[in-house]
Amino acid sequence: MKPNKAIEIKNLTKKFKHLTVLDGIDASIDQGEVIAIIGPSGSGKSTLLRCINLLEMPTSGEIWFKENEITSPKVNLTTVRQKMGMVFQHFHLFPHMTVLANLTFAPIKAKKLSKEDAEEKGLALLKRVGLEDKAKVYPGSLSGGQKQRVAIARALAMEPEIMLFDEPTSALDPEMVKEVLDVIKDLAKTGMTLAIVTHEMNFAREVADRIWFIDKGKIVEDTDPAEFFKQPKTERAKQFLDKIL
Amino acid sequence: MNIDFSRIEPYIPFMLEGIWVTLLFTLLSLIFGLIWGTCLTLMKISTIKPLRWFADFYTSIFRGTPLLLQLFIIYFSTPQLLQYDISPLMAGVLAFGLNSSAYISEIMRAGINAIDKGQREAAMSLGVNYSTMMLFVILPQAFKNILPALVNEMITLLKESSLVSVIGVQELLRRANIVTSQIYVTFEPLIFTGIIYYVIVMILAILARLLERRMRVSEA
Ligand SMILES: Nc1ncnc2c1ncn2[C@@H]1O[C@H](COP(=O)(O)OP(=O)(O)O)[C@@H](O)[C@H]1O
Ligand SMILES: [Mg+2]
Repeated sequence: MKPNKAIEIKNLTKKFKHLTVLDGIDASIDQGEVIAIIGPSGSGKSTLLRCINLLEMPTSGEIWFKENEITSPKVNLTTVRQKMGMVFQHFHLFPHMTVLANLTFAPIKAKKLSKEDAEEKGLALLKRVGLEDKAKVYPGSLSGGQKQRVAIARALAMEPEIMLFDEPTSALDPEMVKEVLDVIKDLAKTGMTLAIVTHEMNFAREVADRIWFIDKGKIVEDTDPAEFFKQPKTERAKQFLDKIL
Repeated sequence: MNIDFSRIEPYIPFMLEGIWVTLLFTLLSLIFGLIWGTCLTLMKISTIKPLRWFADFYTSIFRGTPLLLQLFIIYFSTPQLLQYDISPLMAGVLAFGLNSSAYISEIMRAGINAIDKGQREAAMSLGVNYSTMMLFVILPQAFKNILPALVNEMITLLKESSLVSVIGVQELLRRANIVTSQIYVTFEPLIFTGIIYYVIVMILAILARLLERRMRVSEA
C-alpha cells in the first residue's frame, strides 16, 4: 500500500511581480517523512516553505494537505495554519510575553484551551526541549539556541501534523547549532512529518529521508540522501556541493 | 517696575480651579483622539484601498489647516449648519479630538510599521486570526514603542487647550484673562498661569519616564 501523503504540490508557481521564484514545482511529502530542502541562496527555498503554509499565496498550481486542497479559495487559512508548525531563521518569539506565555498564546487564543491545560502542556514541551527552568523569563534574556528551542516548542504547542523549518540554525553561533539540531532529530524520531531548509549537510545526510535540491525555482533533484551526497545527478548540484562542502 | 503678586491672591482659588477644566478638557480630547485615531490607523493599514484613501485624506486636511480654524468652524458653524447650539466645551473636545486623531494615527501607523514583520508571520503561522494577532501581538509592542510620542501628543494637547479660551471655556488661560479684567493687571495672572502649565507638563513628563522605565524592566 502506498503511504499516505501529508503534502502534495502540483505544478506550483510563485511570481513576485515579474520575477518567477517558483517555477512549476511538483513534489510530495509522505506522512512521517523528513525532507531536507537545500540549494543556493535565492533559489526559492523559503518561498516554497512559505507557500506550503500559505504565508505566501501561490500564483498558480495546487497544494494538497492530506485530502484537502488548501490552495482552494474556500479554505480557511487560519485553520490550515493551526495544523502546520513553522520555525523561522530569526525565531520571532514574542518579546513582550514570557517564554511560557509564548507557548500558551496560540493554544489559548486559537484552540480555546484553558489556561491551566495550556500551561501544563507548555511546561511539558519546555521540558522536552530542555528549558523548563526558563518558563517565567522573557525571550530577551535567552541565548540564540535557547530562543530557537523555545520557538520549536511554541510551534509544537499547537500539536501540528507537520513542521516546517526555514534555516533554523543559520542565525546561531556555531556552538549552539547542535542543541537545536538535536531537538529536531528527536522530533524526527517521533514520526512527525518535517520539511527543513538547511545548509547543515551532515544533518541532512543523517536525518533526512529525502533531499530536495532546488535551483532557480525548480526542484532539480528529488532523491535519497546517500545517493545525492555520493553522486548528484545534475551538474548544478555538483557545483553546489563542491562549493559548500 | 510694578510687580506685586499679592494682588492676585484673592483670585488664586479661582485660577487653580482652571487646572481641572484644562485637565478634563485635555483628557476628553485625548480619549476621543485615541479612539478615533485607532480607527484611522486600522484604516491606514487595511487592505481596502478606499479606507486608506479616506484616512490619508482626513489626516492631510487636519494637519494641513490651523487648529484654531477647525475650532471656529465647529463652534460657529454647527449652529448654522445643524441648528444645534453646541457648547464651547463640546466644540472644543470635538475639534481637538478630531485634530489629534490625525496626529495619533500617524504615530500609531509608524509604531506598527516599526514592528518586525516576523512577529506578524509568527502569529499567523500559529493559526491565530487577524484581530487576535493585532490585539495581543502587534499593538502591545507598538504601544510600548509609541508611548513617548503619545505623551508628547498629550503635552501638546494640554498646551494648545489654551486656544479654547477664545470661545469661552473657562480653562486656565481664560481665567487669567478674567482676573485681568477684574484687577487691571496682566503680568501676575499670566505668569502665575504659566507656572501652573509648566508644573503640569513637568509632572506628565516625569510620569511618562517612570512608566517607560517600568515597561522596559518587565522585559529584562
Ligand atoms: N516578498 C517578496 N517580494 C519580492 N521578491 C521576493 C519576496 N520574497 C522573496 N523574493 C525573491 O524571491 C527569490 C527567492 O527567495 P527565497 O525564497 O527567500 O530564496 P531562498 O530561501 O532559497 O534563499 C529571491 O530572489 C528573493 O529576492
Ligand atoms: Mg531563505
